[in-house]
This record gives sequence, C-alpha cells and structure tokens, in this order.
Amino acid sequence: MHDLMGPFGDVLQRQLELASQNYARLKAKGVRAINVMGAIGSGKTELILRLAEKLRERGLRVGAIAGDVAGDDDYQRFRAAGLPALQINTGDQCHLDAHQVGHALENFPLGQVDVLFIENVGNLVCPADFPLGTDADLVVISVTEGDDMVRKHPKIFAQTDVVAINKVDLAAFVGVDPERIAADYRRVNPHGRVVFTAAKSGRGVEELLAALGF
Amino acid sequence: MHEYSLAQALLAGLQDHLRRNPVPGRVVKVHVRKGELLSLSEWALREAWRLLTEGTELAGSELVLENVPVRVRCPACGYAGEARRLTEEGWHIAVPILSCPRCGSPVEVLEGRDLAIVGLTVGEAPGT
Repeated sequence: MHDLMGPFGDVLQRQLELASQNYARLKAKGVRAINVMGAIGSGKTELILRLAEKLRERGLRVGAIAGDVAGDDDYQRFRAAGLPALQINTGDQCHLDAHQVGHALENFPLGQVDVLFIENVGNLVCPADFPLGTDADLVVISVTEGDDMVRKHPKIFAQTDVVAINKVDLAAFVGVDPERIAADYRRVNPHGRVVFTAAKSGRGVEELLAALGF
Repeated sequence: MHEYSLAQALLAGLQDHLRRNPVPGRVVKVHVRKGELLSLSEWALREAWRLLTEGTELAGSELVLENVPVRVRCPACGYAGEARRLTEEGWHIAVPILSCPRCGSPVEVLEGRDLAIVGLTVGEAPGT
C-alpha cells in the first residue's frame, strides 16, 4: 500500500471559475444580476415582478431568467409583464448551477437589460453551494412557511446578505411572528439586511431595492 | 442534496487523472476534503461513490472524507483563522458565522467550500 497525495482538482473550484466567467460576461454588458433563492411558494416570482416595476419606473431595463425543475409558468409571468425572459429547466436538478446559467446568458439578450433577476429553483439547501456569478444574493422567506425557516436551514442564511420576509400581511392569519424569523437570521448573519415585504401590495419593495444596492 | 452529481464530477476528474497518470496498482482509498459550509451528506456521498464506481477501475474503492472547518480572513483587522460557530439548543448543528471572531467585521471565506480529492491509497499491483 502507498499513498499518493496532492491536489487532483476541486470539483467546486470549476463551479467558481464558471461563476467568474458569468460575472465577467454580465459586467461586459453592464448588467447587474441578482440570484433570487427561496422555498417553493415563498413569492420569488411575484417579488421579482414588483421589483422590476419599481426599477422600470426609474428608467432601468429589467430581464429575468426562471429556473425550475420543469414547466415555464414563471417564464410566462415574466413575459406577460413585458420582461425579456428565458426559462431554464434543470431536469430534476434541485438548484441552478453556473454552467446552466452560462448557457442561458449566451442566449439571453443581455444588451436589452440593465438588471437581470435569476430566479433559482425553489429550495433552501442546495442553491447555497452553487455561486452563479451574480452581484447579489437574495433569499425570500414567506411567513406562511412558519417562523422556524432560518433554524431549519441555517447555512443558506449564514451565507446570504439580503433576506426578504415576504407575505407579512398574512402573518396574523397564520400565527407567525416575522420578528422571530428576523432575529434568527441576525444571529446566523450579523451583517445581513432583513426587509419585511408583502409583494402583492407592494409593501417593502422600495426598501428591498435599497438593501440590494439600488 | 446533490451528492450524486458531485460524486460523478469527482469520479470523472479522477478517471481523467488516472488516464494521464496511471498508478501501479488498484486504488483502495480516495481521500476527499469536504468543506463545512457545503450541504452534503457524507453517507450519501459514500453511497453515491459506491454505486457510480461499479463497473469502473475504481469499483470497491472507499471514499474517505475529511471535514474542512470554515477558515476566514478579516479585511478590517487581519484576523485569519477558524470561524466562530453558533450552537443553539435545539438546532443540532453548529453554524459557521461569517463575521470576524475578533472585531465583528464581515469576513472572507478562505476554506470551507472545498470538495476535492487530495490523495489516493493504492494497493499492490496484481502479481507482485
């Protein structure tokens, strides 16, 4: 028996390289990109649509890439709102990765947008391990998921600097205290920013844009 | 949750390496560093490895996983070392906090997102 030591290549290093290529491609076209993560049904698509409305009022051009295991429902919603959009079907993969996003960027009319939202697959575990090459990451939690979402998925929150606690207008109906979610998040991420939103009514959307650096 | 795709990537990388750099015997152990920040089940990784290597030259090899604790660097005060961990009763997991343990500023991650083969244990060549 003998041991051969030495680096044989880090498989996630490759993802980081692809993410840097995506970032460079976006910067070359002057596009700011946001990776939007969150559980299924947390309101990611609706929130993106509201953010897009506000950004367009400011004269910025907005596009979106929808990532889903199957179907094009989110893509259709983006198109109906007049956004240049593209659908990625991951074919059962539970997250987007930099390779898939790279191909999407090749086919996306980047020259037509200033801001690009990339909506990840609904999942609070895997997307945290796969950087896409975006400028900012956002995790959306809805109060209807319960007030224990941060405690159940601490790693993604420890690594994400902006969190929207969405559907706060429903908090009383489901007996959830949004402040409890925010307090858990601040413990795992002392530098993060929390914004309370209700996408349907537009509450908190301006504050969320500010937290994302707009 | 993505153990199979990553085990496949590790396997493809290793097979490619072995084609270019043949080893004098059978690979019995594959040593892998796994970063603490990754959401990967060690059991599922080993099981994925067992299934994916079936019928390959790596069949029967054991994936030996070494957990890499999160190490951070603070641009504000220069601290470099292990991250602080939050352990709350009932969480059942120590969460690495990406904040400087010394001065509380935001930090850069130096280590803890790794997933890399760092070594092989090779048995004697057949017939020797």
